Order: sequence, then structure tokens, then C-alpha cells
Amino acid sequence: MMEATVRFTLNGEKREFRTDPDEKLLDLLRREGYRGTKFGCGQGTCGACTVLLDGRAVYACLLYSMQAEGREVRTIESAGTFEKPSEFQQELIDGGAVQCGYCIPGMIMSATALMESETHYDDETVKEYMDGNLCRCTGYEKIWAALRRVLDRREAAAKK
Amino acid sequence: MKVCDFIRPASLAEAREALKNLGSHGMALAGGTALHFLLDEAPVTAVDLTRLGMSYIREEDGWYRIGATTPIADIQRHRAPRWALHEICRRMATHQIRNVSTIGGNIARVFPWADLPVVLLAMGAEMAVEGDAGEELVGADAFFAEQPAKRFEGSGSLLTAVKVPALAAHHGFGSVKVVRTSAAFSMATLAVKLELDGDGIASARVAAGAALPFPRRLPEVEAALAGKEAGEAAFAEAAKVAEGAAPWRGKEGMSAEYSKHLAGVALRDALERAARFARERE
Repeated sequence: MMEATVRFTLNGEKREFRTDPDEKLLDLLRREGYRGTKFGCGQGTCGACTVLLDGRAVYACLLYSMQAEGREVRTIESAGTFEKPSEFQQELIDGGAVQCGYCIPGMIMSATALMESETHYDDETVKEYMDGNLCRCTGYEKIWAALRRVLDRREAAAKK
Repeated sequence: MKVCDFIRPASLAEAREALKNLGSHGMALAGGTALHFLLDEAPVTAVDLTRLGMSYIREEDGWYRIGATTPIADIQRHRAPRWALHEICRRMATHQIRNVSTIGGNIARVFPWADLPVVLLAMGAEMAVEGDAGEELVGADAFFAEQPAKRFEGSGSLLTAVKVPALAAHHGFGSVKVVRTSAAFSMATLAVKLELDGDGIASARVAAGAALPFPRRLPEVEAALAGKEAGEAAFAEAAKVAEGAAPWRGKEGMSAEYSKHLAGVALRDALERAARFARERE
């Protein structure tokens, strides 16, 4: 039952979608082929479905697609490619931080919100931005270390 | 909750009209993060309240006025002289939820584990409710006397803002939330506002939730604190009084006895924080 229309900017492109008023943004995205955004718990706990809504990290599984009307949505597909990974993606690869990989798109989107919103990355701030993403492989140490390398580099560059 | 239609009213008046006409078939929607957990079978029309200019924090004659659809994250990041709401907001849910979930959504329908009602009760907050006769300010005690959702259902009246008093000098605030993991629902939430006169407690407002069926004030504890010196002895005594002051209940593996003990410990912690706030914070 597709009886509603929603328009929003998706990864920089103005789009219009048919949807159901009860459909979650996550389901719409995956239905439209944006499958980098994962379905994990479906109840706003694990963070695998994290996308950016007007630059803020949100759970796509808890958001009705209709709530995105007129907003800017960014998914993991905007972050980098296999051939040309983003800085954080490259650090994750170099650090061997990706185990099963299911949580990684969400981790990257939360980290993107952090890097775009803040200029100082003390541990408390980083924890605050990353506290809604779980890694069931419990690979936090390497993910944290990879992120820390990117953040330290950014802070150092800003000081110059 | 099944959403069968979604409307975006252009004004508060339009939103109120729509909700009045929809009656029990309408659902006011702000962040909507809790809607997914309401298991009602009957489909509803969601009325989006997030595009009506109700996301703001303003200073107003000794009060902070917070728009009903202000996300928890904005309250958490806000800093102002003798502002105390950010602490509990940092302890709520996760980053992604705090970005979406709103202060109004948190209190217009109170879940037993909710933290904000406890904090607002202790602060003596006022809720701005827009109804047919214009804006009415409802004190926290009246607002949380029963499930606030009852007040709103089908009436077309809407919560538009929450007013919290800017704390005066010598007033302090402390809130404590006990959880097993940082994103978990609260096991016990305690909040205290202390008004000190020198070292003495001129008056106290104490509220609790999560370990109770519904958030509430603890008047016996407040009475036990009044007139005492703000320190360890009075706080320990208050914790003892608290054990008998409310129907502490067990849940999720906690016995009622444990829950009672936990509330006492959390209360002492909240009292210490409030006293420190009153004495030290600019």
C-alpha cells in the first residue's frame, strides 16, 4: 500500500519516493537500493541503521519516512567507495578494525556527524557521539583507535 | 502503532484542530521514537508537530522556556548560568535518540522509566499548554498528578513549552540516574532541588521515578530535610526516610528490597550533588 509521497535530498540529490505513512525510513532506503544502511535490531538500540538527517546522526529504523520531508538525508553510500575510501574507512582497513562489518556503516555515519559538528575531539565528546553504535564482535578497541587516528590528525591540522 | 496517514499542519491552530477532529484516531508526533513501542492495534493519523517553530531555548524573566519539540540533544548541549538540565539529558538513551526525541514527547506521555518528569517535578517546572482559552501554565505537580496523555487525548490542547526556573544563588540541583548500561532504561532516577540558607536547608524538592509505578515527589523526605544542616548526617537520614516514603518496586531482576536500597543510595548522591551545586557553581 503506497499511498503517500515524500520528497527529500538523498546524498545530495533531490528525490521523490512513493511510500506508506507507516513505512520507516530504513525500509524505504533499503527498498530503493541503499543497502549499506543495515537493519540490525529495528528498535533503536544497535545503530547499524544510522544515517544523517540534516547533519545529525539518527536511527533510520525509528524514523517514519514521512518525517524526512524536505530534509537532507545522507547514507553510507555518500561516504566513500571501494576504490576511493574515506579517511576513516582507510584507517579502519589499515587497523584491521572491521570484523563482520555489519556495524561499520553506522559507526562511520556517527563519526561523520562528530567530525562535521565538532572541532575538539576529547574522549568525552567522542563517546557522546559514538554511544549509540554497538559492535557485536566487540571490536571497539580497533574501531576507536582508527577513529582516534583520524581525529588526532584533524586536530593537529587545525592547530597549524 | 500503525500509522495510516501523516499530516503536517501549517500552524499550531491547525494542529490542534486536526487532533480535536481526529480524537482517538489522531496521534501527536514529535520525534516519534516512542511511538514504535506503543502496541495499539488501531491505526492512527500522525500529526507532525516538529515544523511549528517549537524548537528553542529562551531566557524569560528568571525562567528558561524550552519549546516542546526541542530535541534532548539541544538541551544537553545548552549552557547558561545556573542551568542544570544538561546533566540528565546526557544520560538519556543514545546520541541518535537524543537527536530526535523531544522534551515534549518525553513528558506528554509518561513511561514509568522516564527521567525528565522526575527532574521537572524536583525543579518545580511549569508546562505551557495551549487550549481553546489560550495558554495555560500547569505546574509540575498538577501536570504529573496522573498520566499527562489523558489531558491531551482528543481535547485538541497541546503541550507547547516547558519552563524551568533559572536557579538562584544558593540554590542547587542534582539528578542521578542508575542504569546497568549507559543506553538502558533507568533502574532508579532521583532528583533534588535544595535551597540553602548558609549551611542550612531552607527547603528541598525531591522526586523519584523508574523504581516506582509512576514518577512522584517524596514529601516526607522533603520535610525531613527542611531546617537541617546540608551534610552527610541529614542526607543519610533522608535516605532512610525515603525507604518508607514510596512504593519502591522490583523489576528486571531487581527485588523490591534492592530497588528501595538503590533509591536511598541514589538520593544521597543527588543530595550531595545539589549541595555542591548550591555552594560552588557560578
